[in-house]
Amino acid sequence: MTEAPIIRRNRPGTKQADFYGWPDELFEEMDSTLAVQQFIQQMVRRNPAAVDAILTAPEQQDEGVWKYEHLRQFCMELNGLAVKLQLGCQPDTCTQMTATEQWIFLCAAHKTPKECSAIDYTRHTLDGAACLLNSNKYFPSRVSIRESSVSKLGSVCRRVYRIFAHAYFHHRQLFDEFESETHLCRRFTTFVTKYGLMTKENLNVPILEDQAPAEESEA
Amino acid sequence: MTITNEPDMSIQNHNGQANNLGVGMAMGAKQEVNPRDAYSVPGILHFIQHEWAKFELERSKWDVERAELEAKIAFLQGERKGQENLKNDLVRRIKMLEHALKQERARFHKLKYGTDLSQGDLKDAELDEAQEDAGEADQLIIASSDISWRQGRQLLRQYLHEIGYTDTVIDVRSNRVRSLLGLKENKDGVPAQSIDPVASKSDVQAKSASQNQAGLLAEDMLREAEQAVLANCHFLNPDGGVPVDDGDEDEEDWKSEEINTGKQGKSLGDDERDSSNMAMALKSLDFNFGNMSMVNPWDENSAMRLAASKDPSLQKPGMRMNSAHYGMEVNDESLEEMGLGELAQLTVTNEAEGMYESGTSKEAYSKMWNAKYTLRSHFDGVRALAFHPIEPALITASEDHTLKLWNLMRTIAGKKSAFLDVEPVYTFRGHQGAVLATCMNPTGEQCYSGGVDGTVRVWNVPNSNIDPYDAYDPDVLSLTLSGHTDAVWGLAFHTQKPQLLSCSADGTVKLWSPGSKAPLLQSYAAEPAMGVPSSVDFVHEDCSHMVAAYTSGRCAVYDLETSKVVMQLESNQNVEGGAPRDQVNCVVSHPTMPVTVAAHEDRHIRFYDNVTGKVVQAMVAHQDAVTSLAVDPHGLYLLSGSHDCSVRLWNLETKQCVQEITAHRKKSDESIHCVGFHPTKPYIASGGADALAKVFV
Repeated sequence: MTEAPIIRRNRPGTKQADFYGWPDELFEEMDSTLAVQQFIQQMVRRNPAAVDAILTAPEQQDEGVWKYEHLRQFCMELNGLAVKLQLGCQPDTCTQMTATEQWIFLCAAHKTPKECSAIDYTRHTLDGAACLLNSNKYFPSRVSIRESSVSKLGSVCRRVYRIFAHAYFHHRQLFDEFESETHLCRRFTTFVTKYGLMTKENLNVPILEDQAPAEESEA
Repeated sequence: MTITNEPDMSIQNHNGQANNLGVGMAMGAKQEVNPRDAYSVPGILHFIQHEWAKFELERSKWDVERAELEAKIAFLQGERKGQENLKNDLVRRIKMLEHALKQERARFHKLKYGTDLSQGDLKDAELDEAQEDAGEADQLIIASSDISWRQGRQLLRQYLHEIGYTDTVIDVRSNRVRSLLGLKENKDGVPAQSIDPVASKSDVQAKSASQNQAGLLAEDMLREAEQAVLANCHFLNPDGGVPVDDGDEDEEDWKSEEINTGKQGKSLGDDERDSSNMAMALKSLDFNFGNMSMVNPWDENSAMRLAASKDPSLQKPGMRMNSAHYGMEVNDESLEEMGLGELAQLTVTNEAEGMYESGTSKEAYSKMWNAKYTLRSHFDGVRALAFHPIEPALITASEDHTLKLWNLMRTIAGKKSAFLDVEPVYTFRGHQGAVLATCMNPTGEQCYSGGVDGTVRVWNVPNSNIDPYDAYDPDVLSLTLSGHTDAVWGLAFHTQKPQLLSCSADGTVKLWSPGSKAPLLQSYAAEPAMGVPSSVDFVHEDCSHMVAAYTSGRCAVYDLETSKVVMQLESNQNVEGGAPRDQVNCVVSHPTMPVTVAAHEDRHIRFYDNVTGKVVQAMVAHQDAVTSLAVDPHGLYLLSGSHDCSVRLWNLETKQCVQEITAHRKKSDESIHCVGFHPTKPYIASGGADALAKVFV
């Protein structure tokens, strides 16, 4: 693409408003190994609310890679929520990771699952997800995903969802702020439902309008 | 009186009966003076006692001296024996080398006049034989030597096997020894006749003496070969003379040796079997000393002597020489192969890193960098990195809004042992946009980051050995400096003062003092024509200056106090500039010289003189925009990273590229964003758009 007049770079000195200020690229024309990530980011930037459009895979795109790259993007964008929680979620008020009253979630990032405070759980889960999704052992390549590693995606999704749940039930204001900017929870819920990465019982944030009453009573 | 006084004194020192003896002495003295007066019994007794004591004393002294002298004698005898052995060894080696050399000469001579048939016939055979391993040559020597030697050798082999030296290792080592010997002789021989052969020989001897430790087998082989050669000496030196070009002090010794070996030779030499065995031994020797033919001085002497000799057994040596000559040629190749073999071994170990490297030039440089650590954890491109000043740790800043602290000592055992994966120790969360720049303070306690959100954050760096999954400590974020209104692209920390420079897309460069009450010290704005500052650095050579680079492609040196432009660094580019094509992506100041290095989007690296402001040198460094630069702490090398996926190491003196490393994949049109040197340890790192950071050692 460097020969073409359009060079898609954020050069030093680029203003914030001009970031990623280049024309969109067709997926078919992307020739880098990170094409899927580029494409997803491009779609998100264009319209974060167009959840279904973002989640629509291009033709002949390997589904494992598609799911993997989306999950990476989710973990990356969740950082924004984590930053907000860092300010608002204190270890002495949220001593445990809970969503509704029913469950206490133990942090799996330690050798033996530990009852971390909510903010610790959030950070550890995101760090753990980063390690797992980047680990050479399970995901050595970004253009092909092994069948054996696909199950890892499910467990990552489950843990990551709890961050949404905790924020929704305990830090509603932060959650709403974040959601209105990024629509991340809706996208995530649609994503896991579409690809069956989580069971319906676990999806307790009433983010999709039709689920609102049913989910609350189940939880 | 004086005579008696001395023993008097000594006896008083050694014995307790001073008084008596003194009296006795006095009496004795009186006796001497007046022999008639004091012949009394007590006097006589005293005198005798005294004398006895004196004798005893002297006897003990003599005993002591004798013991000392005996010890000394033993020691000197031992030394002398050692020296003699050494001398004998060396002399033997001299003879052997001499002999081999003569053989070469003879062979060479024979070739000139010699029979073609024998050459042709034996060529193939010799090629085959010469191509055999040295191990087989060993075995040939074994066959020719005594049974005891063979047993001893096999025993040694067995021991070596037990230690773990396989046959190939033994062979390689012995070959190496030989090649070293051969090569040494080669070097000595090449600069023509004026070489002192004694010097070359003694060099070789010294070398060979030092090689003794290199391989037991090598020594054994040589010894056996020596014996065989000495036996052969008889044939080739009928006059027993030593070919002397210079006066040799050792001539006499050699002659005596010759006589000895002559006797040996006679005992062995008449046997046909032995001569054929010695032929084989000589072949192996040729394998050793194939290069000796390069030495000129021996030419006429040996050739003449050979021609003059009427010993019928010369036929065999003749043929041997011819064949061995070819053997020698092949041996050269095989010696080279041996040399290459060593090199081949070296490259094998490096093969794993081969795919990350392509050395484009082969001059002597201090080191080649190999990929070692891969830092995987970021979700998006790594925009900036900063090494810890002391520990083997670094911090990376990424477009995924986080910074991560990595400890290179905490690696994960992976399947590929050549490359180690590292997991982060800590993740700094706080920015609300991509983090674009980072740097550390000289103690490594604090690090600074700047991002798209326009904030500069000061973090307290946690200890590199903490548990990554520790409890959250909100105090890690020490300070947030807001002042910029747009993305912060560059950060630099002063080496001596606690001051931080930041440049931003809002057009300003700001100077901060992070610890103080009013952190913002200064703000420097440039003319709009200069564009937006894209990179800053403190001038290391002059601590009151800083250099800022702009998107217009120009750089300027500012005085920190007066905030005036001290010098504009012009290049010969399009002055209207401002086209993104020309902008400066990164600027670094040389640690010791008043030089500024700038990385341009137009693939060039330009060196500016701070004093004159002119371009000292401009070079096309990469195939695409150069994005980042780093100078090593000594100011000798420059690292540059580019969007063409390569990191290049440049020698600053010659401005030559000494190494190119291919690293990082492209995302959109971006590849490598940042490079860096560790200030105190031999590490270099690169960060790329593929969310990886790599560390090379």
